[in-house]
Amino acid sequence: MTARAEHVASSAPFLRQAMAIAAKDLRIEVRGRHALGTLLPFAATLLVSFGFAFGPGRDVLERTAPGLLWMATLFAAVMAARRSYQAETEDDALEGLLLAPVDKAAVFLGKAVAVTLELLVLVIAVLLMVVVLFDLSPGNPFALLGAFALGTVGLAAVGGLFGVVAEAERTREAVFPMLVLPLVTPVLIAGVRATDLATTGQAGEAAQWLGLLLAFDIVFVSVGILVFGHLMED
Amino acid sequence: MHPSSETSVRAATVAIELRGVTRLFGTIPAIVRANLRVERGEVVVLRGPNGAGKTTLLRIAATALSPTYGRGSILGFDLEREREEIRLRSDLLSHRTRLYEDLGAAENLAFWCRLLGLDAAGIDAALERVGMLEVAGERVRGFSQGMRQRIAVARTIIRRPDLLLLDEPYTGLDAEARHAVDDLIREAARDGRTVLMATHHPAPEAVAHRELHVDGGRIVREAP
Repeated sequence: MTARAEHVASSAPFLRQAMAIAAKDLRIEVRGRHALGTLLPFAATLLVSFGFAFGPGRDVLERTAPGLLWMATLFAAVMAARRSYQAETEDDALEGLLLAPVDKAAVFLGKAVAVTLELLVLVIAVLLMVVVLFDLSPGNPFALLGAFALGTVGLAAVGGLFGVVAEAERTREAVFPMLVLPLVTPVLIAGVRATDLATTGQAGEAAQWLGLLLAFDIVFVSVGILVFGHLMED
Repeated sequence: MHPSSETSVRAATVAIELRGVTRLFGTIPAIVRANLRVERGEVVVLRGPNGAGKTTLLRIAATALSPTYGRGSILGFDLEREREEIRLRSDLLSHRTRLYEDLGAAENLAFWCRLLGLDAAGIDAALERVGMLEVAGERVRGFSQGMRQRIAVARTIIRRPDLLLLDEPYTGLDAEARHAVDDLIREAARDGRTVLMATHHPAPEAVAHRELHVDGGRIVREAP
């Protein structure tokens, strides 16, 4: 093989490809300030609006805080995943990835990693807001962070998987939430329960919900790795 | 993803071979029973009116579209079953430049180098060749179509594909950007690489080996 042929035929290993995608998405995110400029104000507005809607009673706010926190995270996840694919369609870059000699599963994994990291930053900011606004006690912070870490992985995996499907649709703004929201119901339920138990100091009982979140992550990350290439080709 | 010696031999024969390829969009045919054979190292220009099927033909060769009927091989690899092998050795350059607008010119190229495992040391040289080194750090969002196209050309220079597919590469370009595309084609021809190009513009002088006329989804005549 000639030196030129070797040059053309080279291809990065799977994990390096995934990290290249994740680093690129995060760099675009930092440049566009989407998370800080859009998602954080959105989540803050949502929480304050709920606070007004439920009235000034501290008991009600404390009881509803885990649910509100997860609703804010869920909507932010939908927006972050959509944004991740918007950057790919601005100049047909997604087709560039399709035609590139890269493992399409690495594209999925890279995008999911980037969305997970964006959401984790957002969740930490929103958690601090909830602690201040709703007087939520962190209880067991490890269980609390574990719930959000596992939950955001699941949300990012589903968003990364269906983002590419929605991009093919003209009505993608409506189609994407309709595809994602029903599927992530288990994350919402398990996340709220685990958060509730963690904040009330019942970390031991939260373990089963954390297990459910972990199982969800394993299933959807695996499904994403297996089928993303087919979805992209279609 | 290094090709075996067997695949390298296959790649050394015919560059493009389409046999009875038809492509339908719904019920509308874009390409009808097209037969095309391009030898390795040839530079072939597709001519024809808008909507003739030139872009569809190029996108099939690039594996961006599958034929509805018919078969084919690119660089010796089956169009349906060996897409990744074809993608490893070919590049489609069109007026859609596939750049990330919030990244700089050099950052876009660095991303593709990391993704494809290419040596990033050639980025500056490639940008210099297309006259974009001075704006290497600036974001693509503020660039004109011609500047974007030059970065896309720089990306292809770094990749050095065995098969170069060009879809109206001169659209919206100024004289300097057109020269960058011409240089890319001349270099490919000099290196014995294959070029299939759809354009209404004249090909660079003394480079095109054949011109094919496409109309109504059919390759209707060939002029040496």
